[in-house]
Amino acid sequence: MDRSLLGVVLIKVEMMSTSALKRSVTFLFLLALVAGPVLVFFSPANAASHNGYQTSRKNSGTPNSSQVVRDAKGNVVSYGNNSITYTAPSTALIQLGHALYLQNCATCHGVEANGVTADGTAGAYPNLVGVGPATVDFWIESGRMPAADPRNVQAARHVSRLNHQQALAVAAWVNSLAPGFPLIPTPHLNNANVSDGAALFALNCAACHTIEGSGDALAANTYAPSLRNIPAYQVVEAIRTGPGNMPRFTGNLSDKQVNDVVKYVTTEIQHPNNPGGLGLGGLGPVAEGFIGLAIGVGILALLGYWVGERD
Amino acid sequence: MSEDLSRTPVSLSSVREDDPHLQPAAKNPIVVERIIALNFIAAMLSLAGFLWAYVVNAQAWKLGATFGGGLFFLGVGLVAWGKYLMPRGPFVEERHVLSSTQAERDSFADAIVNRGGGVIKRRKFLGGLLGGSVALVGAASVWPLLRSLGPMPKGTLFHTDWRRGTYAVDQSGRRIHTSDLAVGSIVTVFPEGKQDSERGQAVDQTVLIRISNQDYTTQKGREGWGPKGYVAYSKLCTHLGCPVGLYEQQLQLLVCPCHQSMFDVTNGAIPNFGPAPRPLPQLPLMIDSLGYIRAQSDYHEPVGPGFWERA
Amino acid sequence: MSDVVSSKLTKGKTFGAYGRVGQAINELDERLGVAKGGRTFLDKVFPDHWSFMLGEIALYSFVVLLATGVFLTFYYIPSSAIITYHGSYLPLDGQHVTQAYASSVDLSFNVRAGLLMRQMHHWSCDIFTGAIVVHMARVFFTGAFRKPRESNWIVGNLLLILAIANGFLGYSLPDDLVSGTGIRIAFSIAESIPLVGTYAAFFVFGGNFPGASTIPRFYILHVLIIPLIILGLVGAHLFLLVRQKHTQFPGPGRTENNVVGSPMFPVFMAKTAGFLFLVAGVVGLLGAFAQINPIWQFGPYDAAKISYAVQPDWYMGFLDGALRIWPSWSFHSFGHTIPLEITIPSVVLPGIIFTLAFAWPALESKFTGDKAMHHLLDRPSMRPKRTAAGAAVLAFLFTLFIASSTDVIANFGHLSLNSVLWAMRVLTFVVPLVTYPVTYYLAKEMQRAPGSGKRKTTNVVTRTVAGEYVAAPAPAYSEDVHEELEPKVVPTYIEVADPSVSGAVTVRR
Repeated sequence: MDRSLLGVVLIKVEMMSTSALKRSVTFLFLLALVAGPVLVFFSPANAASHNGYQTSRKNSGTPNSSQVVRDAKGNVVSYGNNSITYTAPSTALIQLGHALYLQNCATCHGVEANGVTADGTAGAYPNLVGVGPATVDFWIESGRMPAADPRNVQAARHVSRLNHQQALAVAAWVNSLAPGFPLIPTPHLNNANVSDGAALFALNCAACHTIEGSGDALAANTYAPSLRNIPAYQVVEAIRTGPGNMPRFTGNLSDKQVNDVVKYVTTEIQHPNNPGGLGLGGLGPVAEGFIGLAIGVGILALLGYWVGERD
Repeated sequence: MSEDLSRTPVSLSSVREDDPHLQPAAKNPIVVERIIALNFIAAMLSLAGFLWAYVVNAQAWKLGATFGGGLFFLGVGLVAWGKYLMPRGPFVEERHVLSSTQAERDSFADAIVNRGGGVIKRRKFLGGLLGGSVALVGAASVWPLLRSLGPMPKGTLFHTDWRRGTYAVDQSGRRIHTSDLAVGSIVTVFPEGKQDSERGQAVDQTVLIRISNQDYTTQKGREGWGPKGYVAYSKLCTHLGCPVGLYEQQLQLLVCPCHQSMFDVTNGAIPNFGPAPRPLPQLPLMIDSLGYIRAQSDYHEPVGPGFWERA
Repeated sequence: MSDVVSSKLTKGKTFGAYGRVGQAINELDERLGVAKGGRTFLDKVFPDHWSFMLGEIALYSFVVLLATGVFLTFYYIPSSAIITYHGSYLPLDGQHVTQAYASSVDLSFNVRAGLLMRQMHHWSCDIFTGAIVVHMARVFFTGAFRKPRESNWIVGNLLLILAIANGFLGYSLPDDLVSGTGIRIAFSIAESIPLVGTYAAFFVFGGNFPGASTIPRFYILHVLIIPLIILGLVGAHLFLLVRQKHTQFPGPGRTENNVVGSPMFPVFMAKTAGFLFLVAGVVGLLGAFAQINPIWQFGPYDAAKISYAVQPDWYMGFLDGALRIWPSWSFHSFGHTIPLEITIPSVVLPGIIFTLAFAWPALESKFTGDKAMHHLLDRPSMRPKRTAAGAAVLAFLFTLFIASSTDVIANFGHLSLNSVLWAMRVLTFVVPLVTYPVTYYLAKEMQRAPGSGKRKTTNVVTRTVAGEYVAAPAPAYSEDVHEELEPKVVPTYIEVADPSVSGAVTVRR
């Protein structure tokens, strides 16, 4: 996408003259129709998955953590702290994982998992080498991969096609190509502070997922999904790996902070108390307005029809 | 064709005691009376239930159901009584002409114009002075009330608290280091020391995004503003001031949750969709010798929505 | 003994034919002269068509607002001072919140019936504004705003504006994340006014956003100043209604010079008091079963935080929708900026709509040349142009209201947010332009069809023993007011005598 053209036209949008207005309105309209799906596939930031997980901050999802356990060959087997423990999938699963990968993933991601160009777009079926086990496990166990329809702008959550063991196996095999981070997380919710989690959620998550965790539509057919039916470890995986358009939270959130957020999500978001009655879908004033008008004024108008006369 | 005389309205002052207009509308007044009695009994039981629920501190919905239900039954009973058991009518009342006679209007006008006008005509000069004094009383009552309401804006809207060398800190006051964020991460930052102040949160709020591993220039003339791929923009939307916290890392868009303005992060945060008129101001960054992210200077333009004095 | 007592009390007066009530009336009348006006007042006749109940919904939901509001004022603390929350809702424990927010959360969790009162107050507000709009539509479509009721129309429009304003101020008081975003937007709108915007914003809010005085000033406006004005205007509204008497639909026995319906005492009082309890009851049941504005889930307001899907309450929705769909046209030159992308949707557009509303009686009277008094209402189909214009404006406002939910629509419909917005931009023009002619022709059609809109008599289908089916109209119910229309001879000459004497229209053939 030619960004300088974008820039030239858009500066004109600000200082408006009539003819430039017509041109830029027409251009913006076509841009909206065309650029949305195109930008998704042409986006250069798909390269993010190649950069691996980076932060030097301690206790933020990397082996730069309190307790690191290595195997005989020196590979990291697990690390973590009393907030979250990250574990590598067992190397015994690698062979099973390779077989499952060839069955379910190779047609799109390539036999060597380094991505397939489709119509010249490098990012269409991403390179999985070095992404880390948590990324692979998240996409598989949330049912988004294998993709039901690769043409969709954003893959939707489904019941997973592979069970937990199989997903770990695929993750083990991909990780064996080039080790990456973070590993598979296990949050220790008993040590979490739900109030800190609430404050962090409001600052970092509510802007996309809404403060009640209902999810909402984002630009160009992307969306932030609802947080209602997600197990705790998948929430950690999503936060640490930043799937799709979701930003990655690496060094800016410590494991303790992530654990707090997960506790908040799995308690208040997924099981709200709702002492006031029906939750009305957690959509806020939109739902309340419809209920107030349709049911409140509606029922009262019907009652008025009874109280008054007909003619 | 026979006219149903019972539907012809009669006047209340002239109706006889045996007139069918005074009869209840219900065909079976006894049955209706029993139904109304049941409603009143239900209302009493429900409201007594409310009092009991209040004493035992029952849940909110029980309090509401008994209170609302009691009122509702009471209303049904009372309306039914008025509609079915009371004189069915219809009754008629004549409209008396609202307006007075021309003579009365003339005498009213005469009092105002001749008596009042005469006074002013004789003392025109005094009348003018009286008018002036009353006007000043009005000004004296209103002006201090309004002027004391708040401070003059002066230059408040033109600057933030970012200065040369100010450290970027997150909401807990922790300084951001270059190794903290991965590509595709976002964190809300404030000038060091201002993260807890009202002004810090309201005006200085800034989003720090890592869009690359290399130095990034978002616009011509902004070379060196994006060291190591870290770019910072004001979080205040240029439309109406909502925090632009919604970041899509693949589309490279900052979307404002209020009215869905979309800012291109790689191109100086120029809005390519939605009602925002201007790009988000960019904060020039630098990295010090220890690797901490600091501001080069304040923003080069006022942050936030437009106002008259903004050039 | 009793004779002594009774003679001491009455001093020779007897209770007379009407007992103690008569005695009380005697005493009052001697001092205040209430008897004559009292009888007239009790005899007052109220037309009681069901559509006249809509205004009563508004009136009684206002009563509920006052009653629940008084309860809330005893517990809410209008202060922006920051405290550390240590109440009963654990996810907030230890957070720095304003006292306004903390007191609202405490009111919801720790005060008995507090949550119920808060919810009833909020539901009642949504119903209040909704009922005003529906009532205003009824008045508009039936032409009840015509002479002599133009002043009542003005009063009603003022009430609508004040109700909307007070609702916004009210739901901003708890200072939660969702309503606080609305306050930020209000500050920016004030700031955007050309020439005086920054001064207006700084003065009203007591400084740059968030402002030291925002919550306390909103509070006093919301509980004292605006409700007093509303009470005064409601009083004027009802006074005008009582003095000019209510309008009525044309029908048997109804003329421009009388009112047909039920008498104030006892029928109307019973029905209207019953309706008050019905309104309060429905509001109570909504407050019990439907959660509204769960501020504890939203968390306290923080200027750097925001949630998605933050629409305002429904009556502000048309403004939010207009702000979303309006293009980003900003005007700046000569060292100044006029943010048209703010000013036009949030100031100019409602300004035009409300000015049109205020001016409508004068405009209609000018265009139709109708300067007569009207106490009989129009059926909406009888005035197709007015009905179509009103329907088009309502459709326009409704489209703007829908436009404030673009993100929710895109989410539920699995559509692109960008295309939903463009669709709304197009619909804002197309919907009113289509509504006008459709409504116009529907109204014309209804005029042409005889007996349309009236209740029809049923046909009873009987099967005879021989197997034949016979359909015959059922006998008309005696309560059915509508009579079968019969051709009448049209008079060739109508003489109008002195109009100040009622019923003095003579018809000659």
